[in-house]
Amino acid sequence: MLVLSRKSSESVVIDGRILVRIMRVEGDVVKLGIDAPPDVPIFRQEIYKEIQRSNQEALRPGIGSVPKLPRAALGAAPRRLRQAAEAVNGDPKRC
Amino acid sequence: MNTAAQIEAECTGLRHQDIVSLPLGLLGFEQVKEYVWIQQEEEAPFCWMQARRDLSLAFLVVPVFDVVPDYHPHLSDEDVEFLGLSAPSDALIYGIVTLRAEGRATVNLKGPIVVNRFSRVAKQVVLTNAPSYSLQHPLPAAA
Repeated sequence: MLVLSRKSSESVVIDGRILVRIMRVEGDVVKLGIDAPPDVPIFRQEIYKEIQRSNQEALRPGIGSVPKLPRAALGAAPRRLRQAAEAVNGDPKRC
Repeated sequence: MNTAAQIEAECTGLRHQDIVSLPLGLLGFEQVKEYVWIQQEEEAPFCWMQARRDLSLAFLVVPVFDVVPDYHPHLSDEDVEFLGLSAPSDALIYGIVTLRAEGRATVNLKGPIVVNRFSRVAKQVVLTNAPSYSLQHPLPAAA
């Protein structure tokens, strides 16, 4: 692994198109700012691994059949409006 | 009055054999970028997203609001932009289902698949409020 020393507000450039800046250092917490094109997905590693594992687990065949849901569990029409509102009016800050 | 079939079509938003493009793939399956939506009436509201070029790769998904009515997913600005969502109602939100032993099933609410219903471009996103949700949310079982 390449190891570089950087001070607060200094950056590294990756592949000429991804910029990683040290925004702030507070104790053992480092805040990073990342500028990357939209086709470069960025995740916290532990979340990436968790979801990757979940996706792989979902693929295991032959464990069971598609469940039948109780009719009462199926929601009613207004949910689409709610879904819509939540989806776009979400927290504007990046995770 | 609507028939059950109409209601299901309305809920699901995508139809049998619709092709959905995931330019970034699913996490861990980044190289697979096109899926066909397979929907069988007897399995509703569940659908299969079947890799278009690999028949062995299929994920069971469910429109999240059909099973978790009080779901409040928050998308980042970057994801909204990536998906080209210009109105809230452009988004369809599916959860990947894991079938488990003894007929149990769970759905991933932390990393749902968000589909732009018009362009059929999708992304597996990590919600900005992901900590509020489970990777293994249990689905209700039929009595």
